[in-house]
Amino acid sequence: MSNALPGSSPADRAAPSKPVLTPALILRNGGAALIFVTLLIGAHVLQTTPGYGASAALSLLIGAALGVAFERGRFCFFCIFRDVIEHRNAGPLYAILTALAVSGIGYAIVFGAFLPNPFSGRLAPDAHIGPVSLALVAAGLLFGVGMALSGACISGHLYRLGEGSGYAPLALIGALIGFGLGFRTWNWLYVTVIADAPVIWLPHWLGYGGALLLHLAVLSVLGFALLRYVSPLPPRPARQLDIKYLYEALFRDRWNPLVTGAIVGVIGVVAYLRVEPLGVTAQLGSLARTVMHTSGMLPARLNGLDSFAGCATQVVQTITDNGWLIGGLALGAFGAALIAGRFQPALPRANGSVAALVGGVLMGWGAMTALGCTVGTLLSGIAAFALSGWVFGAAVFAGVWGGIVLRLHRWT
Amino acid sequence: MQRKSPTESEDLVDRTLLRTAGAAVGGALVMLAVVALIFFVRQPASTLSTTAPSAADASSAPVTVNLPREPRKFEDVVVSTEWLAQNLDNPKVRVIEVSVVPGVYERGHIPGAVNFVWTTDFVDTVSRDIIAPDRFQELARAAGINNDTTIVLYGDNDNWFAAWGAWVFRQYGAEDVRLLDGSRSKWEAENRELSTRAPTYPPGDFTVRQRSDLRVFLPDVLKVVRGEEQKVLVDIRSPDEFSGKIFAPEGFQELAVRAGHIPGAVNVPWKKALNDDGTFKSVEELRKLYAEAGVDGSKPVITYCRIGERASHTWFVLSEILGYQAALYDGSWTEYGNSVGVPIANPAGTIWGVK
Repeated sequence: MSNALPGSSPADRAAPSKPVLTPALILRNGGAALIFVTLLIGAHVLQTTPGYGASAALSLLIGAALGVAFERGRFCFFCIFRDVIEHRNAGPLYAILTALAVSGIGYAIVFGAFLPNPFSGRLAPDAHIGPVSLALVAAGLLFGVGMALSGACISGHLYRLGEGSGYAPLALIGALIGFGLGFRTWNWLYVTVIADAPVIWLPHWLGYGGALLLHLAVLSVLGFALLRYVSPLPPRPARQLDIKYLYEALFRDRWNPLVTGAIVGVIGVVAYLRVEPLGVTAQLGSLARTVMHTSGMLPARLNGLDSFAGCATQVVQTITDNGWLIGGLALGAFGAALIAGRFQPALPRANGSVAALVGGVLMGWGAMTALGCTVGTLLSGIAAFALSGWVFGAAVFAGVWGGIVLRLHRWT
Repeated sequence: MQRKSPTESEDLVDRTLLRTAGAAVGGALVMLAVVALIFFVRQPASTLSTTAPSAADASSAPVTVNLPREPRKFEDVVVSTEWLAQNLDNPKVRVIEVSVVPGVYERGHIPGAVNFVWTTDFVDTVSRDIIAPDRFQELARAAGINNDTTIVLYGDNDNWFAAWGAWVFRQYGAEDVRLLDGSRSKWEAENRELSTRAPTYPPGDFTVRQRSDLRVFLPDVLKVVRGEEQKVLVDIRSPDEFSGKIFAPEGFQELAVRAGHIPGAVNVPWKKALNDDGTFKSVEELRKLYAEAGVDGSKPVITYCRIGERASHTWFVLSEILGYQAALYDGSWTEYGNSVGVPIANPAGTIWGVK
C-alpha cells in the first residue's frame, strides 16, 4: 500500500459512487467557495489599498495557489522524505524533483532578463543564493530533526493549519521562538563561520545554459536512480472524461506528484518574476524580530544579516508581501481541504504538543540561520542554481533520516 | 501489498540503496570535478574592481572648472511623466533607473531604461569615493550615451539615488541631465507602461570631462567653518539629527561618534522640496523655501547629509533647478562627525551620547 504511487492506490481512488448531496457536502463546498471568493475580494481590496498594491494582491493569490497545490498534492517535505526513508517509496519525491526541474528552467529564463550577463560578478537580484558554511549544514540538520519531531516542515504546518491540524499552531509558535534563538546566536555564527563562507552561484562559472544543463542532469540522475523505488501503477479502468471525472481528479483524489511538482515549479517562477522568490518564513522571522526589538531582546546589531539575499527579516509594523503569501497559503489549503473532505480538526495530545513545539523551535532556529526553510532555501535556492540550496537540502534530508532512525516522529 | 520476510526485504533494499547512494556520490564528485575544471580553465571575468584604483586612473581624465551654467528652465532639468512617455523612442534621450531596492528595475522598468546600480556603478567598491572616471566612461558608453545625449534619471524612494546619479553624471561632464518628476512612483501610479526586458544599445562615445566645482571635501568645509570662505552650508537631515538629539534615523548602520551638525549650517530637510505626491514644488516655492533659511543664491552653497546621498537631491534642486552655485560634500556627517579636531555644533547637548 505504502509503495503505491499516490492517486493510484485503491484507497485514494474509491470506486465511483453516485454523488449524494448531503448537508455536510453542501456546507463543505459552500465554505470552500466562500473562502475562494474572500481571497479574490481580498486581493482586489489589497490592490487598491495605498501602501500594498499589486505585489501584495499577487502574493495573496500566489499563496492561495500554493496552498491548493500543497494540499491537493500533499506536497509536504517531511511526508515525502519519510516515504523514501521509512517506506522505501520514492514516488512522492518526484514532486520535488519536478518542481526543481520546472522552476530551474523558469529561473534560467527570468535570469536572462534580470541579469543579462551572469559573469559580471553580480548576483541576480534578490534570488536566494546564500553562503555555504558549516552553519548552513547545522541549520539543515536541526531543521530536519525538527521536521521529524513536529511531523512537518514550516510550509507543511502552514497548509496543515488549513486542514485543521492541532499541532500546526504549536509548531509555528515554536518556530517563532526558534527564530528568536536564531537572532541571539547569529552574531557569533556570522563572525565564526558565515562571514568568510563562499556564496557559490553556478551561473558565475557555467553561464545560465551550463548551469541549467548541470541542474537538469543532476535531477535526471536522481530521478533515474530512484525509479526502482517506485512500485508499478495498478491497471486503470478506462473512464469517460466527463465532469464527474474532472471533479474527482481535481478535488478528491491526491494529485499526481509530477503534476503537483510542475505546478509548484511554475508558481515559484511566477513569484520570482513578479514579487520575490518563494519563501514562507520571512514574515514569521520579521514578527519574531519585531517582538524582540520592541522588548529589547534583540542584539543591538545583527552583523551582515541584511546584506544576504534570502528570506530576509526586518523590523516591520505592517504585513509584508510574504505575510499575505502565508495567509493565502493557509486559506487556500483550507479551501482545498474542505472540498476534498480532508478538513479534520483534531486536538493535539500532550506528548505530541511538546514534540511539535520543540520541533518548531529547531525549525525556527534552522530557518533563521539558513536564511530560509525547505521552500525559501531548498526550493528557491536550488531553482536559482545556488549551491547553498543543495547543501541545505542534503542536510535537511540527513536530519530527517536521523530523526526517523531515532523514532522522533512517533511523538506527534 | 505483499511483502517478503522483513530481513530478506530489508537486506535487498539496503543493497540497492547502497548502490544508489554510491552512484549519487559518484555523480556529485563528477559534477564537482566539472565545476572545478571550468573554474580553473576560465578565470571568472569579474568586472567588480577589488583593488583600489591607481592614481593614474583618476588623473587620466582632464579636470576642468566650469562656472555654473545659465539657469535652465524647470522643464529642461525636470521632465514630466507625460514628456517622458512621448520621448521614449527619441534616440537622443536615454532613460536610466537608479533604485535602492534590488529587483525593482528587473520586475518592470520604464521601457528602454538602463539599470545603473548605485553600489557599483556610481561609487567605487574599495575607496570611499565616487566611481573612477575611466570606469564610469565605460559604463556610460555601454548604455549608449553620447556627450549630447539627454539623460533622464529616475528611481525609487523619491529619486534619492537617481539624484546621486545625476550629480555623478554632471560631475563627469554630462551637460543635459534631468530627473523624472514624481520619480518611479508617479509613473506607476499613472499606470504607465512597464517592461521587464533589459535593453541593449550600440555603444556611445561619451567622454568624461571631470568638473571640480560640484564636489567639496573636508578641508573646503573647514574653510567655511573657520570663516575663511563665505559659503553657506545646508544640512538636509531631519531636525532631530541636526540638533544632535539622535545620531541617525532608526535602522541605519553608518554612524558618527558625535551627534549634531557643522557649525553655521542651516537645516532644510530634503523632502521639503517635494509636494506630497513626490513631485518637485514650483520654482517660486523652492526659491522661497530656501531663501527663508538664508539660501538665496548670493553665496555658493554646500549641501551635506549623513552619507552624502540624500544631499544630492537638495544639490539638484539648488544647482540644477534654481541655478545656484552649489556643491555636494559627500563625506557628510559620517566623515565630519568622526573627524578629529573639527568643531561641531550640538544644541541638544549630547556629547558621546550622554547629556
